[in-house]
Amino acid sequence: MTLHKTCDGVKRRDMMKLGVLGSMSLTLPKFLRMAHAGEVNDAPAKSAIFINLPGGPSHMDSFDLKPNAGEDYRGEFNPIKTNVDGIEISEHLPKLAQTMDKFVILRGVTHTLAAHRLGQEYVNAGTKPLPSLEYPGYGSVVTKELGSPKDLPPFVAIPNTNQRPGFLGVKYAALNTGGSPQPGRPFSVRGIALNNGQTVEQVQKRQGLLKDLDATFSGFEKNNQLLDGLDQFSQQAYAMITSKRARAAFDISKESPAFTKKFGTQVFDQSCLLATRLVESGVRFVTLTLGGWDTHRDNWNRLSERNLPQLDSGLSSLLVGLEEKGLLESTAVFVTGEFGRTPKINRERGGRDHYPRCMFMLLAGGGVRGGQVIGESNENATLPASKGYSPDDVAASFYHNMGIDHTKEYHTATGRPIMIVRDGTVIPELFS
Amino acid sequence: MKRCLPLFMVVIGLTLPVFGGETLEKTVVERFKSADTKEVPNFRRHVVPLMGRLGCNGRACHGSFQGQGGFRRSLFGYDFDMDHGNLTKADEENKKDARVDLDFPEDSLMVLKPTLDMPHKGGKRMDVNRWEYNLFMNWIKAGAKNVDLEKEAKFEKLEVTPKEIVFQGNDESVQLKAIAVWSDGSREDVTPMCRFKSNDDQIANIDENGLVEVGKSGDTHVVVFYDNGVVPIPVMRPVSKQNGDDYPEVEAPTIVDQLVVQKLRKLGIVPSEKSADAEFLRRVRIDITGTLPTAAEVESFLNDTSDDKRARKINELLETPEYAAWWTTKLCDLTGNNDDNLNNVVPRVGNRYASTDWFEWINKRVQDNMPYDELMAGIVVANSRNPGESYRDYCEKMSEIYRPDSKVSFAENRQDMPYYWARRNFRTPEERAIGFAYTFMGIRIQCAQCHKHPFDQWTQVDFKQFTNFFTSVAGYRARPTGEAAKEYNALVEELGIKKLRGNELRRKLPEMIRAGKTVPFSEVMAIKPRPNNNRRPNNRNQPVSSRRAKLLGAEVIDLTKIDDSRKPLMDWLRRKENPYFAKAFVNRVWAGYFNVGIVDPPDDLSLANPPSNQALLDHLAMGFIDNNFDMKWLHREIANSRTYQTSWVPNEANRLDERNFSHSIPRRMPAEVAYDALQQATSSNSEVDKIRVASRAIALPSAGRRSQNRGTTGYALTIFGRSIRESNCDCDRTSEASLLQTIYLQNDKDVQALIDRDRGGWLNSVANDLGLAKKKAIANRPPNYEKILASLKARVKKFRKAGNEGQTKAAQVKLDQYLKRFGDDGSKKKKGDVKVDSIDAVIKQAYLRTVNRYPSNVELDRTTAYIEASEDKVDGIRDVLWALLNTKEFIVNR
Repeated sequence: MTLHKTCDGVKRRDMMKLGVLGSMSLTLPKFLRMAHAGEVNDAPAKSAIFINLPGGPSHMDSFDLKPNAGEDYRGEFNPIKTNVDGIEISEHLPKLAQTMDKFVILRGVTHTLAAHRLGQEYVNAGTKPLPSLEYPGYGSVVTKELGSPKDLPPFVAIPNTNQRPGFLGVKYAALNTGGSPQPGRPFSVRGIALNNGQTVEQVQKRQGLLKDLDATFSGFEKNNQLLDGLDQFSQQAYAMITSKRARAAFDISKESPAFTKKFGTQVFDQSCLLATRLVESGVRFVTLTLGGWDTHRDNWNRLSERNLPQLDSGLSSLLVGLEEKGLLESTAVFVTGEFGRTPKINRERGGRDHYPRCMFMLLAGGGVRGGQVIGESNENATLPASKGYSPDDVAASFYHNMGIDHTKEYHTATGRPIMIVRDGTVIPELFS
Repeated sequence: MKRCLPLFMVVIGLTLPVFGGETLEKTVVERFKSADTKEVPNFRRHVVPLMGRLGCNGRACHGSFQGQGGFRRSLFGYDFDMDHGNLTKADEENKKDARVDLDFPEDSLMVLKPTLDMPHKGGKRMDVNRWEYNLFMNWIKAGAKNVDLEKEAKFEKLEVTPKEIVFQGNDESVQLKAIAVWSDGSREDVTPMCRFKSNDDQIANIDENGLVEVGKSGDTHVVVFYDNGVVPIPVMRPVSKQNGDDYPEVEAPTIVDQLVVQKLRKLGIVPSEKSADAEFLRRVRIDITGTLPTAAEVESFLNDTSDDKRARKINELLETPEYAAWWTTKLCDLTGNNDDNLNNVVPRVGNRYASTDWFEWINKRVQDNMPYDELMAGIVVANSRNPGESYRDYCEKMSEIYRPDSKVSFAENRQDMPYYWARRNFRTPEERAIGFAYTFMGIRIQCAQCHKHPFDQWTQVDFKQFTNFFTSVAGYRARPTGEAAKEYNALVEELGIKKLRGNELRRKLPEMIRAGKTVPFSEVMAIKPRPNNNRRPNNRNQPVSSRRAKLLGAEVIDLTKIDDSRKPLMDWLRRKENPYFAKAFVNRVWAGYFNVGIVDPPDDLSLANPPSNQALLDHLAMGFIDNNFDMKWLHREIANSRTYQTSWVPNEANRLDERNFSHSIPRRMPAEVAYDALQQATSSNSEVDKIRVASRAIALPSAGRRSQNRGTTGYALTIFGRSIRESNCDCDRTSEASLLQTIYLQNDKDVQALIDRDRGGWLNSVANDLGLAKKKAIANRPPNYEKILASLKARVKKFRKAGNEGQTKAAQVKLDQYLKRFGDDGSKKKKGDVKVDSIDAVIKQAYLRTVNRYPSNVELDRTTAYIEASEDKVDGIRDVLWALLNTKEFIVNR
């Protein structure tokens, strides 16, 4: 074991160098002053990729190792160095270790919802779920705020998402691809792909017929919001289905072999490849899912054999790929599960159980300055070392990164004013 | 004693010189014009309302829950003690002085800030020495007294004149006058202290002084607020000159029609023509049964020449199982039948969930046309055990019901439907009060949980007192307590599962049910209020009981004298004068037929959101009650009206009307209905006849995330906005249009598969009839076609024999896919299929099954030409069917 480690895996002397790491020395007012003076990168991201890790990834075996903890806590994995001095992560994330400079690890994120569904709702909306109201997920808010090109779906979920439009209404729902891309196989996105060998010409021909037959309400469309809306959506759908750009966006085989080579061949790798391609085409918000983190049993085998290598391979290629295409600066990346896992090992089952009080989240892209660890957990990673961050704070920061004011108010159907994120505060260190 | 009385009166006379049965004609504006006035204003009657008027307690100002500048007011007022305390007490913690200075009244922050004599973030709210200033000063000078809610006269009502405003021309305006009436008989003109709001400022604008100005033609309400009084005043401006005495003769055969026309007459709106038969049939089919008419049904209805065919059709539809399924679905929306909230309420045996019981229990009663109040009583006062049943008997019966091959059905065997009280989002007293008010009363009291309701009379005290009904009722118990605990223990002892907990127990129970054993079930039961118990019990789920609870807007109930506090609630709901129970339901049913409720949104029966037609709502609600809550009476009353049967085609005068029912409003089919319509419109005639109601989306029992992610139905139903049954809001279901819906209809693989399916598909069946079988497919067959086909069939047979359902299904899917690609045309004639023999007949069929009418000549020509010009006629027909499914006319109910 390397010497002089603090509990968060960072060497003491590096604390000095990294300055703000793990401390709250940069206050929000100071940050805002700096932002005002142009001292922080404040150019907002234009699109976003959200990677959901449902099941709840074990923070102590991935991004928040405690090599010096007692054996009831420590776990089987060892930390390795990354390409940023003083930051160490799990040995099963070697590729991410080499891309550490591109992303931020938030440690000591904390909340109290230990059930999968409630936790998922929380981290997918950034506001604690309420029984009386469904909050919109990030993708729905972002597409409402920032819009999208006419011939592309604004919000795409590969293959589906827990981010729901909530009280914003079905207009802001995600297009679920329904499946995930696989290498060397044609990938068809439901609704966009032309099935059964159809050609664009055939689609145009039948559209002509539709235009002639859809005449019952002629002349009355403008009196009725629904009829007017249906007409607009019909035109937009047609533009999308016949658009070369839309189909090309989903066709990962169009990507150059040199670029494709960076990505592995597993489903998650290919989904990451598709996500970069969609963002490059102009899709506003993409969600990806990598599941299987609910490791009550057999935690270390499952993590080392399946989950961590998949995440390592997919996410590192995604970050490198985005950067190579010049998209990292304009794409906010957000990676999170619904909670961490119990620091104390469940010996009976060789696993760890649900644990929301201490977890990690990853952020990258846009104005986020990579290569940092922000926040820290205590000795055994059971709680944040100091105040910690709530999912709401991370949400506020994520929206800030997209140039969206998280205190903006929407009105629900019942006329109730609701802030996008009510209880969150932007974490200034992210952007410094 | 005698001596005290005059003294007491003197004291009152000094502090409250203006009250005691007298009428104050002059308003505060005049009375406080001069700083010399000796009148002492009252905190409740003058100070608080005036601060509201000046905007102090606005949401962005001091009404914010965090306060503003260290000073907080109750949002929308009415928390007098807090408001008084925050004005008169110094904030020790933050070293801030009190807002009033009794020694030097002129130096009070309360007057220095809003006049900008001191910096005030909220800007200037009033001038020095004006009436507002004088009023505040006099209150401070007299000691800044709080209100004594117990002793002082109570607020009785607000009288607003005029009671209705009808504008005729431009530039007209009317000043409202509001008189507050107090329980001691005193009256005061409080117009300058009221809050005013217009429900549609395009039609009537109202300013802060209560001056109503005419706007566009139409009708709306302006609302006056003072204390907890909320008074809506109808304002209208006729749309045409044909109003009042100049209104034309209009057919109004039913009472409903007469009441609707009564309103239309004032507005100068003439209803549309009566709908054509085909238009009526499609509409009534969708609205009553949630299904499309079949092609055959359309033809036979159009050919029927009898006068009463519409009334007969309505009666016929009300007897169908689809009617019961569709309206059960709506009742499941209202009651929140959602698997996600019923986790582990019953053991998981096969595909049976608590939500299935829920649906079937209601469905049976809708089918039997059980009176609405009885049906709801089975939910409101529900117990898991039937009367007289022991816990053991109950478990035996439930175990029997849950056995896979059970002959006993929950719907028939169980008297009540208890799961409403087992919902995970319905456990705390507050959740229950809010959910209960939503489901059974159609009102939103959640606002009053944290502040005075902004659009209704409810205060936090009302909320609290109503919530008391729910502090001790209807416990949901995973395992029983009290007497039954012994039975439970004996049962788990017998089963040898005493040590099992959590998931291990949950895994074991279904096995034991399958093995024919009796297992313990969770239960919902009334808990007798135990008001003497002042300590919080050990069991967190059992909050401290309350002694007294108050019905919303009605009397206080002594809970110590009853064994189930839900009973007085149910008795109250059933009362003839209950302002919500019957109204909420008839209004929701009406909204199902007309796209908008008489009160709209339909789940907001608040004072500030009055009905567009009060007389109509009253008639339906009273009729419903007088007819013993007969749901079919209600459906008939609505569907047989001329109002329901008007055409969607508007005329010049009613073109913009969306709330007075002068024409039918095109609206999107609800999610389940749209999904079923796609299935049916693409099925061959014989296949349509085979569709069972249970296989339709309108009969899906549950909602929620789990079911949303299930299979192909889930995606379609989600994007079309099926109710999520989650948040106590009718808006959990949506009928908005969206891009994804259009993409789904135009190009989704599921829709294409429906159109192109061989088995039961209409396209396939007409292709066969016309001899246009899939020659191409046969030409493309691989050389070993027969061999592969035989092996695929053998697999299906093998798995079926082995009784493996999952694998059989998977193998069948593979076989079907293969047959679809290369198989014969599968044209074994089904019995009952009418063979079509011409392109004309095909087109007619396509129209009848999608938009449920015959094509016009123009349409016939266009489609014929299209098919004739197609290289492959089947492709041409496919495109015609596709185009019809993508017309607005298909997805819209008109």
